[in-house]
Amino acid sequence: MIRFGPGNLRIPEFQKPVFAVAGGLTDFRKRYPEKNSCELTMDAMRMAVEENNLKVSPEEFRRKVNWCVYSQFADHFGDQLLAAAKIHDYLGFDPLGNIEVKTGGATGGSSVLSACQAVASGYADCVPVVGWERMDEVTTKVGNSYIASAACKDFESELGWMYAAYYALMAKRYQLENEVPHETLAKIAVKNREYARHTPFSQNPGKYTVEDILKNEMVSDPLTFLECCVMSVGAAVLILCDEKVAYELSDNPVQITACCGGTHTLRTADRRHMPILLLPNETEETYKNYFSGDRQDWPGFSSFLAARMAAYLAYHMAGIKDPVKDLDILETHDAFTISDIQTYEDIGLRPYGHGREFIESGEAFFEGALPTNLSGGLIGSMHAVGATGIFQLVEVLWQLQNKWGQFHEPEGLWTRYGKTKPDDFRNLQVEGAKRGCAISHAGTGSHVTCTIMEKV
Amino acid sequence: MTVKLDGTKAELLSEEPMVIKNLKTWYHMHTYGGWGKFFQGLKQGKLLGTRCTNPDCQEHRIFIPPRVDCVDCWAKTEWVEVPAVGTVYTFSQVTYPGELFRAKPPVPLISVEIEGVCTKLMSYMKEGQPEFGMKVKAVFETENPTNTILDLAWVPA
Repeated sequence: MIRFGPGNLRIPEFQKPVFAVAGGLTDFRKRYPEKNSCELTMDAMRMAVEENNLKVSPEEFRRKVNWCVYSQFADHFGDQLLAAAKIHDYLGFDPLGNIEVKTGGATGGSSVLSACQAVASGYADCVPVVGWERMDEVTTKVGNSYIASAACKDFESELGWMYAAYYALMAKRYQLENEVPHETLAKIAVKNREYARHTPFSQNPGKYTVEDILKNEMVSDPLTFLECCVMSVGAAVLILCDEKVAYELSDNPVQITACCGGTHTLRTADRRHMPILLLPNETEETYKNYFSGDRQDWPGFSSFLAARMAAYLAYHMAGIKDPVKDLDILETHDAFTISDIQTYEDIGLRPYGHGREFIESGEAFFEGALPTNLSGGLIGSMHAVGATGIFQLVEVLWQLQNKWGQFHEPEGLWTRYGKTKPDDFRNLQVEGAKRGCAISHAGTGSHVTCTIMEKV
Repeated sequence: MTVKLDGTKAELLSEEPMVIKNLKTWYHMHTYGGWGKFFQGLKQGKLLGTRCTNPDCQEHRIFIPPRVDCVDCWAKTEWVEVPAVGTVYTFSQVTYPGELFRAKPPVPLISVEIEGVCTKLMSYMKEGQPEFGMKVKAVFETENPTNTILDLAWVPA
């Protein structure tokens, strides 16, 4: 049982406002032997500085930077310790200080949090956050065992060496407690792969039906291959500044009004029952009849306390009362269809037990109340782990800057990555989007960050 | 002085783009430390857990996986033998495991609830198909132990 003391739920504060001015991505691929990790981060950095309408040249930008944050999930995959030093040098930032952040799948989100802390405290005023992962130097099966090294190696990894299996255990329990139809889960996979068709950056776009997903081969019952995220190679860059530098660089910076993190046990097994931590849009009444029948535990295997904790802090910090109403765009860490449904509840889009309604109502879709994962997400577009949380925020930034078209529509971008724009290409810019959110997530919910961005 | 290479080489996998193969053939030790007692217990057919020794601690239930130090009050814990019976809290069948898995798939994975234990240990069924709430009993790999968590498995009770 976790009992919060008075200090535990303190709402974080930024001493100075933090702004995002630019973002850059590579495309994401299963294998990318043409470029090494240094080159990939350079491509993402170039896009951030040269293609975001900044008012400076790369050389002038480099002269403004005073701290860097690097984001790579696994030295196992990169097979290069201190890779950040190599990349920092390659990007021309020596001898400035830097830090490399590691929190599993949430490494990208935590790196942005670290950069926010640097800017908000006044330690730095211009900070590139650089994320990458190269997962193509081992077979997929070895890759899966590397990833499963991020489960508990004493008590859990040996049981399959496969993260999807650890999520499948949660999925089964969620289905028992909440009766979510497999069709609803499949709709998430269909949706995100569909949106991935309209972005030149995506690795696994495709037109699928719910039937295709359901009939697909099992990885670990009930999760099919098409319900699991991709394994990618690629990079992402987000540039954070204080207010003064933000406006020197850009005419339309976006403010980061909250960036907060939560955690929970690496082993799902160790999650003891506790009272539900309520979000601003919930009361005791919301869960009056929650614990009944098979539902006796919270967070149990159906919910992520880390996500609830991150959302609790971020919503209070950014003044979010009702996320579906107050947010215009959302990127979730859709590593698996089931974890997406669980996350909808953890971040208060629906009360616990009702996550399916967020998909079934159409709210999660483009032109719905809160379009979610228009980027294609981890299922459709990418999961180059260290880049993922940054990729999400780059996509949110462009939406809030009304630049989605600029970075997804031009034929030149599609040909840059050797792709053909589909004939039925759709512009997925959310009209008038003012406030966005991204959830970065590790383990079976060991670390989660929640970042809120707002148009100024 | 002339330096002579030892004759080994990195195999060329692709000329353009150039990709080579690095071999890794060494072993990596894994240190169980204070938790080793648990794995020794499995080899002797015993399921061991830990319990906080501090009478003022808020948590007096048993932990499996064990903790040598209490998570809530940081006092030392004591080892206790736990009756090797439980119920299936959740399950899956893994058909596509990762590289290092020591069993041929499909394998039914389970999380087990044990009376008096506050955790829900991840494990697998050696025989039978799991169902929610199914009573199961532990079986131990005492003959040919793997020295890993796989030495513990469950069968219908």
